[in-house]
Amino acid sequence: MTEPVPISTRQGLARIIAFVGLFTAVSFATDWAVNHGLRNISQSDYGVSNRLMTGRANAEIVISGSSRALTHFDSRIIQSITGRTTFNIGRNGSQTDMQVAFLKTYLRHNAKPKLVVHNLDLFSFVTSREIYDPAQYLPYINEEAIYTAVRRIYPDAWKWKYLPLYGYLVEDMRFTWIRGLAGLVGIQPEEDHFQGYLPRYSRWTGDFERYKRDNPAGVKFEIEPQGVRDLREIAEVCRSQGIPLLFVYTPEYYEIQQLESNRLEVFGKFHEICHEFQVPLWDYSESPISKDRSNFYNSQHLNAEGANAFSIDVAHRLAQSSFLK
Amino acid sequence: MLFNSLEFALFFPTVCALYFGLPLRWRTPLLLVASCGFYMAFVPAYILILFVTILIDYFAGIYLERITGKGRLLLLWVSIIATCLVLFVFKYFYFFTHAFVDLAGFAGWKLTDPTLKILLPIGLSFHTFQSLSYVVEVYRGNQKAERGFVTYATYVMFFPQLVAGPIERPQNLLHQFHERHDFNYDNITAGTKRMAWGFFKKLVIADRLALYVNDVYTRPQAFNGLQLTIATVFFAYQIYCDFSGYSDIAIGTARILGFRLMENFQTPYYSASVSEFWRRWHISLSTWFRDYLYYPLGGNRVRRPRWMMNILITFGVSGLWHGANWTYVVWGLLNGVYLICGALTEGIRNQFFGLFGLNTSSQFRRGLRVATTFTLICAAWVIFRANRLSDAGYIFTHFWQNWNFGQIRTEQFLLRQMPVALAGILLLEFGHCLQPRLPRLERYTANVPTSLRWICYSALLLSVVLFGVYRKSQFIYFQF
Repeated sequence: MTEPVPISTRQGLARIIAFVGLFTAVSFATDWAVNHGLRNISQSDYGVSNRLMTGRANAEIVISGSSRALTHFDSRIIQSITGRTTFNIGRNGSQTDMQVAFLKTYLRHNAKPKLVVHNLDLFSFVTSREIYDPAQYLPYINEEAIYTAVRRIYPDAWKWKYLPLYGYLVEDMRFTWIRGLAGLVGIQPEEDHFQGYLPRYSRWTGDFERYKRDNPAGVKFEIEPQGVRDLREIAEVCRSQGIPLLFVYTPEYYEIQQLESNRLEVFGKFHEICHEFQVPLWDYSESPISKDRSNFYNSQHLNAEGANAFSIDVAHRLAQSSFLK
Repeated sequence: MLFNSLEFALFFPTVCALYFGLPLRWRTPLLLVASCGFYMAFVPAYILILFVTILIDYFAGIYLERITGKGRLLLLWVSIIATCLVLFVFKYFYFFTHAFVDLAGFAGWKLTDPTLKILLPIGLSFHTFQSLSYVVEVYRGNQKAERGFVTYATYVMFFPQLVAGPIERPQNLLHQFHERHDFNYDNITAGTKRMAWGFFKKLVIADRLALYVNDVYTRPQAFNGLQLTIATVFFAYQIYCDFSGYSDIAIGTARILGFRLMENFQTPYYSASVSEFWRRWHISLSTWFRDYLYYPLGGNRVRRPRWMMNILITFGVSGLWHGANWTYVVWGLLNGVYLICGALTEGIRNQFFGLFGLNTSSQFRRGLRVATTFTLICAAWVIFRANRLSDAGYIFTHFWQNWNFGQIRTEQFLLRQMPVALAGILLLEFGHCLQPRLPRLERYTANVPTSLRWICYSALLLSVVLFGVYRKSQFIYFQF
């Protein structure tokens, strides 16, 4: 073994700069690999996003909205009954602010649909307080509509865009970067989405009973001006591109409806927007599906069986409606 | 400012560049300004409290050197009381008044709780103790009073160890501010490696385990015995990795600037007795209590009952130092009881094991003792971590109940976190085993081509970065 040679200040500085440079390069390379890998995935949630981002969805009927849209509209059923290609871009944990961003992104990359069906929720006018599952947006943070929406909710999101790996490490606890690296070498997650639709094979969870116990006096959903603007924007985007829009209030377990103290007020606002933009609203609150607990796994979400019944119903209505004539 | 923050990643290289670039006479003032900035990143107003402590002990030090006779002792006590008063007001006022109200309630007097609840300035206990050690050492004549106010203030506020130690002694640190610290590549590489090890402990292990521990200890009644056990063992690792990780980062940061801070941990969970544990855990605090409380009380050079009392006082105060809560006091006293029992039963235990031919040098017996010590320490951690004594009682009585292997995860800690957590702990232990061989390993790696070595370093560093948890979590010991 040789004795180490003393290192001068100049040499030391050069070495430090070189090492920092190497590490920065490795970080950027890893960031690129993760992003590229996630965008390489063709199955499951990223598969849906990637079809949308790369213009491979091109559906005639586009379903947009929250997790209720995602789990309620079975695109396959709607497509088979209406004879129109259907794609579901519903996002888990999203409010209208992120939904409009995703709709804009869809329209930017794909052929103009013949109809946009937008799912409404009682919380449609509540803006996002935080970004749910930030990793779902990270590979697409360079999409202008998504970046703008994310930054409005979380101003620090510029770090996701400009600092390598920051979003995956600081905001995500699900090791999404591993999925990205796996995607890079062609390892695909199990397919659980069908033309964007995510069936939930779950039974009643009992979350509602807990919710009811915790909120005996009921709950009130805010009607925030920004939330109203966001829903208006969805209507505006469709109108400006000449795309017919349909609002659907999909089934909601009837017992929770009694706990929603300002339900009438929220629906009043829905009708106001519908009237302003001449958009019909199909309300399934009173549907027999909403009265049967076996259709749901919690008060807001239909299980696969319930979604099946609902999708058949809505598809028949669509087929008979003037939208697809 | 947290070490594990983006702000620090920008702050520290800037300070280093300025420090080595500035003329010698500006370097200590720069460190003071940087330390103020570091501290004010938490709550700016708290710097005033720190300033009061610094002023008291700066002048106390100078006058302690000037004055002779009985006035000297009086001045020492005045400065100690004044410094401790700051600590008392901000840390213990509510605790003691609340305890007084409770006590009055037992006596039949109805008093109301004070409404004044003051937020504890970060790291107050640490810099208070560092200040106290300065005046005591000046009084004892082991340290010359520092005339330069900026130098003294920097000694108390030196940012690497300002908020969570190690609690330095003036003999070790103060003179270093008068020395020249030039850019030294070896210091930088050694310091960076030490920081990386600290970040590994903090980000990969401590903060991940914290997800589990926080869930369980917030509401232990909602978890089964297996989860309580896992959470307790996890907490033992969490607190070790959190605190020793902080110390590693502090030591590494100081080393880059050319300063040597004292070691604070020496693989404490490998201790074969509780007394050994306390010689290897939070060494700067243990030795502080030993030198400034236990020895002045008489240490072990007194009769046995008095010695026991000294132990209990020292550990009781140590518990109280950790926090204004009865859980900490009981935790401290329990450690004292462990020590006393250990000393009292040593002869009997030696005789018992002697029957099986197991003397103190036997490896098997040492293993047994290490396991026993770890169990005892974990039991004490239950009290330390529990939000209230009743929670600790619940955990102790439910450790063995309803072990459900199908229900291990918690809300924050999904099962996918478990392999990373366990691998982190294994790597930590591997690192500990490697520690004695580190000089040989370093000599070996020095001969590996630089490009290959750097690729390995980058990969290791990237692993730490990738597997870290980056929630805005403070270091546990900041609260003390």
